Amino acid sequence: MERRKFIKNLGLGAAATIGVPYLLPSGRLFAATGSRKANHVVFCLFAGGVRNLEAVHKIDGNLMPYMLKGNENVSSDIISGINFVPPNTGVTLQEQGTLYKEFRMKYGPTGHYGGHATALTGVYTGDNLNINSNPQYPTIFELYRKHNSPTMSAKNAWWVSNALGPYTHLNFSSSIGYGADYGANYIQPASIISQEGYENLGNSKVYSSNEESKISSLKGFCDAHFTQQFSGIANSITNTEDDKKEMENFINQAFIDASNGMFNNPWNLNAGIYNNDMTTVNFAEKIIEEFKPELLVVNMQDLDIGHSDFTQYVNNLQKADYALSHLWNTIQNTQGMANDTILIAVPEHGRNEFGNGLYDAYGREAVDHTNDDMSREIFSLILGPSGVVVQDQVFSQEKGESIDIVPTIANILGFDNDIPTGILQGNVLTDSFY
Amino acid sequence: MKKLIFLLSVILLFSCKKEKKVTYHINDVNIEQNAANKDHLKSTTEFISIAYSDIFGTVISSAKLGELTETYKSFGDKILIEEMVIKNFLNELSIQIPSIDRTSESTINTFVNDTYKKLFNRTPDEYELWFVTDMIQKDNDLNSELIYFSLMTANEYRYY
Repeated sequence: MERRKFIKNLGLGAAATIGVPYLLPSGRLFAATGSRKANHVVFCLFAGGVRNLEAVHKIDGNLMPYMLKGNENVSSDIISGINFVPPNTGVTLQEQGTLYKEFRMKYGPTGHYGGHATALTGVYTGDNLNINSNPQYPTIFELYRKHNSPTMSAKNAWWVSNALGPYTHLNFSSSIGYGADYGANYIQPASIISQEGYENLGNSKVYSSNEESKISSLKGFCDAHFTQQFSGIANSITNTEDDKKEMENFINQAFIDASNGMFNNPWNLNAGIYNNDMTTVNFAEKIIEEFKPELLVVNMQDLDIGHSDFTQYVNNLQKADYALSHLWNTIQNTQGMANDTILIAVPEHGRNEFGNGLYDAYGREAVDHTNDDMSREIFSLILGPSGVVVQDQVFSQEKGESIDIVPTIANILGFDNDIPTGILQGNVLTDSFY
Repeated sequence: MKKLIFLLSVILLFSCKKEKKVTYHINDVNIEQNAANKDHLKSTTEFISIAYSDIFGTVISSAKLGELTETYKSFGDKILIEEMVIKNFLNELSIQIPSIDRTSESTINTFVNDTYKKLFNRTPDEYELWFVTDMIQKDNDLNSELIYFSLMTANEYRYY
């Protein structure tokens, strides 16, 4: 080959190497710059307001036997008010990871939305937080979708919430440059998988592929005539057509399962034991099994009954503990997620040191959460593969805070260095990892 | 003098001509929304209640609207949920969607015009009218329900 021609070819080859983005085997156009600790993160907001006293300090006995080691008896005065889940006969969760007993939500109002927003944005909220609007700073979903794999479809990021209200706003922020385009697929199972949900969605007309083709042609024609004005759907994330179809089938299958009674007692417990936290986690497990998302956040909220009924709060604490353990077991039994997932569990905030004057049938006083020091005391549990997450490690001194969760998730998924400087305030919880 | 009298007579004769009465008629014009002017996204309740009216020909009850709004809020992909809601509406026995009279091109034109007016609040332009009419003429299986679903899930339907 002539030297000039060779150099020319080499030059073109080099140019092509530089100019064409690196196409990963997974189909991603770009890769995050950091290495990953695991390919999946499940973040469980163990929320509703959990006081460390009843949780990791076990003042009323070990109410979280699936998470915490120890056989401390539950206080006798409330024992008859608790509908106990089956006892744990296996290894506790704390033995499968790192437990921060004295985690903190250091600043901002200790309200549910503020606590959730802080945990999901990595930024403390101010007192002027509007619970009826999207958070001000990018959520972990937006950071993941924008800085990790821009072409990654939305079905890799899920936000599964126990309730509607302000939680519907947490899948994306109002931050410029982020927003709905980078949001997660949000779902509130209790509204979808319900009689009303079935009546509104479960009796859908089913179109053949031939009919869908006609619909697509005519719809496409109409959309082509309406391109200039179209500026997206407000407050909506967008899935690809294929993913949308997959999700529609998933929801329709859930309706079929529900009508066949498969949601009545999914975990083979006493049927009356289920609360909304367990139902929500069960649905999150369905998503894990179906979509194997890289990032899924699920919250619990039934502990908030602590405002009016302390014993029910304790009852729901041991159910939340069971649900978290069930979630972890499902992850470990799901091909593609097992041994490649890190699970993080953190309450959004604690509860006050002193009661609010409301006593339940067992003589226990209810507790609110109104910014006192104890309402800022929480715990954090990080579980993962034994070669990645430090096993059976407990930090009993104050270490870590709510705003550290987002950078830690970003670090696990290898894109923490791709997030623009100044957005996040917290630190990676490096002590949890080898 | 004679000349002056003649000149005044001529001026008088032509200057006092009776003015002709002219009446200008204004034709009736339908003022309808042009697609180019739609820049308001329907709210959740507007979308649901308008879709319900368009399919059932009646006003949605506040209870049903409340239920549907909750269902709508419980999923992040609004486009998917809108499609599912409309599919669900279309599977009801009480839907009030006109069938297509395929007797002639003119009757199909009428259906297309009526459908655009009802769903998009405007008449189709010449190309739209031809295109949709042609689709219907060429495909006997393209029924009014499929056309309603296509238009109601099109982006223009989300705006007003």
